[in-house]
Amino acid sequence: MMKANSSWFWARCGLSGTLLGMLLLGLTGCGEAPPARFRLNMVEMVSSEMSRDQQIGIANVLTAAFGTPDEPFAMAEAELDLKKLKAAAGAVASDQLGNEVGLYRRHCAHCHGISGDGAGPTAAFLNPYPRDYRQGVYKFKSTERVARPTRDDLRRVLVEGVPGTAMPSFRLLPDHQLDALIEYVIYLSMRGELEQRLVAETFDLDEGERIDQLPEVAEITKEVVAEIGEKWAQASDLVINPDADLAPPTDRSPAELAVSIAAGRELFHGERAACVKCHGTTALGDGETTDFDDWNKRLFKLSESKPDLDLAELGALPVRTIRPRNLRQGIYRGGRRPLDIYRRIHAGINGSPMPGSAKASPDAAVGLAAEEIWNLVDYVQSLPFDSLSLPPEQLVAPKRERL
Amino acid sequence: MRRREMMASLLVLGLSWAICQPAAAGDWGTIRGKFVVDGDVSAPAKLEVTKDTQVCTAHHPVNEEVVVGAGNGLANVVVYLYSRSTPEIHPDYQAQADNQVAIDNLHCAFAPHVATLWTSQTLLLKNSDSVGHNSNITCIYNDSKNVLIPAGGEVPVKFEEKEKLPVAVACNIHPWMKGYVLIQDHPYMAVTKADGTFEIKNVPAGKQQLVFWHEKLAYLRGVKIGDGETSRKGRLKLKVASGDNDLGVVQIKAKDLAAG
Repeated sequence: MMKANSSWFWARCGLSGTLLGMLLLGLTGCGEAPPARFRLNMVEMVSSEMSRDQQIGIANVLTAAFGTPDEPFAMAEAELDLKKLKAAAGAVASDQLGNEVGLYRRHCAHCHGISGDGAGPTAAFLNPYPRDYRQGVYKFKSTERVARPTRDDLRRVLVEGVPGTAMPSFRLLPDHQLDALIEYVIYLSMRGELEQRLVAETFDLDEGERIDQLPEVAEITKEVVAEIGEKWAQASDLVINPDADLAPPTDRSPAELAVSIAAGRELFHGERAACVKCHGTTALGDGETTDFDDWNKRLFKLSESKPDLDLAELGALPVRTIRPRNLRQGIYRGGRRPLDIYRRIHAGINGSPMPGSAKASPDAAVGLAAEEIWNLVDYVQSLPFDSLSLPPEQLVAPKRERL
Repeated sequence: MRRREMMASLLVLGLSWAICQPAAAGDWGTIRGKFVVDGDVSAPAKLEVTKDTQVCTAHHPVNEEVVVGAGNGLANVVVYLYSRSTPEIHPDYQAQADNQVAIDNLHCAFAPHVATLWTSQTLLLKNSDSVGHNSNITCIYNDSKNVLIPAGGEVPVKFEEKEKLPVAVACNIHPWMKGYVLIQDHPYMAVTKADGTFEIKNVPAGKQQLVFWHEKLAYLRGVKIGDGETSRKGRLKLKVASGDNDLGVVQIKAKDLAAG
């Protein structure tokens, strides 16, 4: 059993070893670009003080479990569709029939990076930074806070883009290409999640030990990938579906709507929902401007503990604070349907400082009730049309002065 | 991991059968010690309160990274048993297994600053202030949490897995608020009190490893404790005898605790 478990692993390690050997021998010369390689999460490596040797160990396990950017691989436990992955992976090309491959590098890698670290060549010029997939943390989705997004959530982001950011819409891509990209994004996430766990597992080992040299490495890897796969598989069971009976009717009179907006305003400025603390009394998003999202907080903590460290050398982007959304612009990154805004308030935004504010269960003592969240949705949606949000009246000088 | 542990324990069992008698089952030892700062530490800096000043400044919140108490005792050193698998739990702990462990948001600071939680217990996030708080707990093995706690409210949360290190607790509404919680699958853990002392009762006797961690120092490395010295990962190997095990006074240099 044990032997059978390990054999695929070593076979795959051997394969990557051969590839590495070819690279070292310069067989990829003749003006061809070297094969694309996944970059290790150096922020994790340095934060957890992995030795060079241990980093190599982690890289070997990752290659065995997920392959390379040109030759992706998925263990059965990951529940990924290898055919789709192959269409998205590899170099940009198309055959005589016009079938395109290398979709990820064609459409995504320049911002999100080959490894899905959100630090592609363009990333430094963008604000907000592109998503780093490697934690499995996504902000704009239909599921409970810490749950993974569903495939439909990722499709929505691809089709709609993310308003107010550099993420464009890929509405023009055919469905099968979107499917392939969604699969590949999940693949990069799972790979990054495994990497993080391997760092944690290596942390437990003695100084000289490497994770890829443990006799039970195949078993550990399978166990962790199965755990990660399960989280992704569970996502569709964790979609936030507000009780339809509690949702406001679609045929409300203006007076009824005004009552709801007023209730939402109370909550927004009160101590229970406390929205005002970060979004500001004006809702311009200026209440708390010194905080970080989870990705930048990790970087900030590392730079604090090791002030001499050059983050850029680790492949990390400069640390940035996060701004709460300016709610007067009417631009909503996760979608502008009332349901989208409901979900943002219910679960908060994973990876960001925005906390979830819904009751844990309908009879929980603390948290906002569904009706209250709908009141907030109404208030938030009224803000862009509030007099404060309108552009200042243009002062037109009298004709004579203009002449 | 399990197979390895099994193999290791089989090996250990075999060896101990051949060489010596293992510590008799049912032997338990209490570990105690005291952390003292060698030198003077500057007074904790006042925190800049930018929000809810009426509630938050009334008690002059200070940076609690380094808390030095009476007799130069170093508070908030986290001490816990290191074990790859869940250790045997002394029956006396069973009464606490379902307890709620509270972290209160009090005067815009976390009380306690460092909490310990056994995975069978429930963490109760409380808010005794008259302003809203949120508690953002970022984990590696558990699902992270970020819940809003209205004034006077409390939210129970559960964690299934142990974490290797204390995880940070933050309030995003009041970004100066910082705290930690250590989550383990056993109750053998302690945080040093204001006088620097700690005590962990009824640890299974025999060879054990303790981990020492402090917010400012991270792992306590190369620190002489009792007859031994901590490793790079803050671990100390020791043999827990039945009864009292006093690790004595542990000196921490003031310059290591200085800001920077």
